[in-house]
Amino acid sequence: MDESAKTGRPLAKRNLLLNPKVVPYVFIAPFLIFFLVIYLYPFISTILMSFQRIDGPNSVEWIGTANYQKMFNRNFKQALATTFRYAFWDVVVLTIVPLIFAVILNSSNVKFPSFFKSLYFVPALTSTIVVGIVFRLAFGTLPTAPANRLLALFGQPAKDWLMFPDSGNFVLILLTLWRWMGVNIIYYISGLQAIPTDLYEAAKIDGANSVQQFLHISLPGIKPVLIYVITITVLGGFAMFTESVALWAQNNPGGVGRTIVGYMYLMGFYKNNMGMASAVGLVLLGLVLAVNLIQLIAMGFFRKED
Amino acid sequence: MKKILAILLAMAMLASLGITAFADEEPIHLTLWTFQELHTQLYKEMLDRWNANPDNPKLDIDMQVYPYEDMHNKLTIALQTGEGAPDIVDIEINMFANYLKGDIQLADMNDIVEPMEDHLIMSRFNNYAKDGKFYGIDHHIGACIVFYNTEILEEAGINYKDIKTWDDYHEAGKVVLEKTAKPMCTWESKDCWSIYPLVNQHGGDWLTPDNEVRMDEQVVIDTLAFMKSMLDDGTAVACPGGNHHAEEYYGWMGAGGAASVSMPFWYLNRFTDYMPDLAGKMKVAPMPLWSDGGHKSAQMGGTGTAVVKTSKNVDVAKEWLAYATLSFEGCVATWQILGFDPIMTDVYGSEEMKAPNPFFDYYGDDIFDVLQGVLDDIPDTCLTDMFPTAADIVRNQMAYDLVITGLSPEEIAHNCAEELRDAM
Amino acid sequence: MKHSNRIDGRRQRVKTILYTTLMFITAALLMVPFYFMFLSSLKPGTEMLRNGLSLTFDPGVSSFKNYEALNTYREGIYWSWYKSSLIIMVLQTAVGLVLSSMVGYGLAMYRFKGRNAVFTLVLILMMVPFEILLLPLYRMLIKAHLTDTYFGVILPYLVPPFMIFFFRQYVLGLPKELLEAARIDGCSDYGVFFRIMVPNMIPAYGAMTILSCMNSWNNLLWPLIVLNSNEKFTIPIGMGTTITPYGNAFDVLMPGAVMAVVPIIIVYLFAQKTFIAGLTSGSVKG
Repeated sequence: MDESAKTGRPLAKRNLLLNPKVVPYVFIAPFLIFFLVIYLYPFISTILMSFQRIDGPNSVEWIGTANYQKMFNRNFKQALATTFRYAFWDVVVLTIVPLIFAVILNSSNVKFPSFFKSLYFVPALTSTIVVGIVFRLAFGTLPTAPANRLLALFGQPAKDWLMFPDSGNFVLILLTLWRWMGVNIIYYISGLQAIPTDLYEAAKIDGANSVQQFLHISLPGIKPVLIYVITITVLGGFAMFTESVALWAQNNPGGVGRTIVGYMYLMGFYKNNMGMASAVGLVLLGLVLAVNLIQLIAMGFFRKED
Repeated sequence: MKKILAILLAMAMLASLGITAFADEEPIHLTLWTFQELHTQLYKEMLDRWNANPDNPKLDIDMQVYPYEDMHNKLTIALQTGEGAPDIVDIEINMFANYLKGDIQLADMNDIVEPMEDHLIMSRFNNYAKDGKFYGIDHHIGACIVFYNTEILEEAGINYKDIKTWDDYHEAGKVVLEKTAKPMCTWESKDCWSIYPLVNQHGGDWLTPDNEVRMDEQVVIDTLAFMKSMLDDGTAVACPGGNHHAEEYYGWMGAGGAASVSMPFWYLNRFTDYMPDLAGKMKVAPMPLWSDGGHKSAQMGGTGTAVVKTSKNVDVAKEWLAYATLSFEGCVATWQILGFDPIMTDVYGSEEMKAPNPFFDYYGDDIFDVLQGVLDDIPDTCLTDMFPTAADIVRNQMAYDLVITGLSPEEIAHNCAEELRDAM
Repeated sequence: MKHSNRIDGRRQRVKTILYTTLMFITAALLMVPFYFMFLSSLKPGTEMLRNGLSLTFDPGVSSFKNYEALNTYREGIYWSWYKSSLIIMVLQTAVGLVLSSMVGYGLAMYRFKGRNAVFTLVLILMMVPFEILLLPLYRMLIKAHLTDTYFGVILPYLVPPFMIFFFRQYVLGLPKELLEAARIDGCSDYGVFFRIMVPNMIPAYGAMTILSCMNSWNNLLWPLIVLNSNEKFTIPIGMGTTITPYGNAFDVLMPGAVMAVVPIIIVYLFAQKTFIAGLTSGSVKG
């Protein structure tokens, strides 16, 4: 309060900054500035590029919607199918499994919970590419590959895991689960721990069993966190690329190796067609936006805040 | 006397000044990008030799090694924006056509290539050329040969030198399978190093120079049919790990998995590096011939080293590159350091190439006799701007459908050709 | 009553054993790839090709030689990569945490015109595939003369939208009364944020520190486009050069990858401590 007196003029400015109408905008200013300065131009530029054929810095040609019309070929549809299949299982597995683990770890029924939490998190810290090599070898072609040895224990014949869409997708999901389970567990636990324990006590007195407690207390309690987890998992599912590169590089056996982002990458860099890559990227953006919006509306996300 | 001494002294001082001035001459700085750390060993050697010659302008080359895919991405971005590109860059053969589109950002090298034309294997330069201009220099021919595991063949009572045609090869394979229970060879299921060399040697290719699709020609179908017949009777098996560069394959082959593999010449160092246990057992031989025509070998793979147009030192960069890659000593060093088959015809048969080296220890000393026998009949490959797309289809569809899905050769050729036409 | 308590106690004990065993088995399974990475970092690269994935420790061929080789590999360049990665990680995380927590807080705590629009923009930005923005972003970078600088590397991550989103979700759970009460005490809104809310958001900071460090540490594409000199490269770029379509240099790759996990584990343990302390302090939520 003294400072304003000393500097004189800023009183009005201070008042302005303290004006309750202005305060929220000060808080969000970093994002707005960031968006306008750094992302607005690339964003617009990408939209423009999707209507161009770009062969070099000095040969840019406007081609209307040709990129969009040419896009929907067999390869694109295959990439779309691969992405949807992966994203679906990704969301199912990565929302449910970590939630179960989080609930168990958060109950008083586990010894050393923080030890396990730390351990589960370690996979997230490793580089996907290196771990991809490990998984690629574990699910290798030969009967001596670890996964095939496991099959042999059950009398099953060796499998060429990464060469078929279903088993390939299975390995992908396993890799994702291995890597991200610990992260989602931590999100969930942060939500669970914020739920006051007296709610559970009261429920116990009312005779609620643990399933009922979970459905009526835990689940509503972690809703904001759940929304966050699902949203980023959907996003991660559709944007998946590194994992498939780690397992298949630029190869696409049986169509399993190439996601939409992979397809975009192929167009933009491998075939040097930036215009087409931009168009594919924008279609992907539209798709993810639609899926996420449906999910958020279904979860009552927008209703809650207004 | 004093005067003379003074003059002499002054002259000496001047001279020394002159010398120091010369020695301190600011070197020209160049940047070079590569995705293959091995290449920098050759470049460093050739840079030292260049700088040791006082007639040459001093060079200081900053060599940056990038991950394979990412270097090409970075180059694409740099060339598209017109800023940030290096002076010299290694571009992988499959990617090269991308940089020959529209307004070409690479410098043409006709002035350094044309004077040497009679000494070089020019078909290697056509891969990196457009409209009569050469934009890249390769380091090797990449002639395809066959690597035989003589231990397995001897067990089956076969002398690899008797295998002259692919039919002989197949027959030998049946004996090997029967006597040793091992396959004769492996076909890749997710890469092009099995199909493309065989098709190309047989006289086929994926495209014409005018981008007409050749994938469904009879020669492709026949080649696929031959490959399938070997898969069907077990003389060929799906390559463990999917291609001949997979860790699993190296381990399996190194433990005596298959009796042979057909790969380009540069595969020599994969055996020495990754399959040391086979030293002394492996022999190289020419590819078997097709009984219905075709060629003695095929040239596969490669790296086109290019100079970027926006470089401030295009001329000196080209001059050095010519020295490093197109000179006699550069080509000899390419063999000695990298184990590649150099692109200069003059080096073959020269004493310098016969100097002892780990490859002779591993394979015996007839490596170049094999190579020289096929050099006169290697077809061109047709690398148009659609080649990256064609290569992608071969890797991901043709190989997969042949080895894994097991479709008929006609179906495979037809589907792939349709796919390529759709992408035009 | 007593009787049922005893049964209850026994049931609880069985449950504890069961759950703890389950947790233990899962943990062991999750550690397998990691254990393998460590084992193979001790072996010569050819050994790995010979025997594939082997989980048995073989003292005959194992040694720390590969780790020593990191010091000599291309004149010890690995440690320059390490340094760059650390600098970028610290810068990116510090700036990202401060700015995005402010924005997330603003979006959660206040109602104002355009709030939904801004938040939707945050969500959209989260969903834009970064790859398609590369070319124009690089053009801007050149104009700003930021190529080959660390600042250029962190530029697109100054206010990461996913962090804004998380902070917003987190603050939604904080009691708004805290704000009202503090205002009555004569504290400005900014004072409330820094003195009262920030301490309450410590668990969120903990989680986001880990996430941001992870993202930065493993980021490949953008740093690669921005950086031009080998000694400024980050670990993922440098390690990437040992992975080629024609064979991998396992001798360098494996110890390099293992060493690369160390700082991020330190960050994790450190943040985890604050994180759990914050969660259990009871000051979160009412």
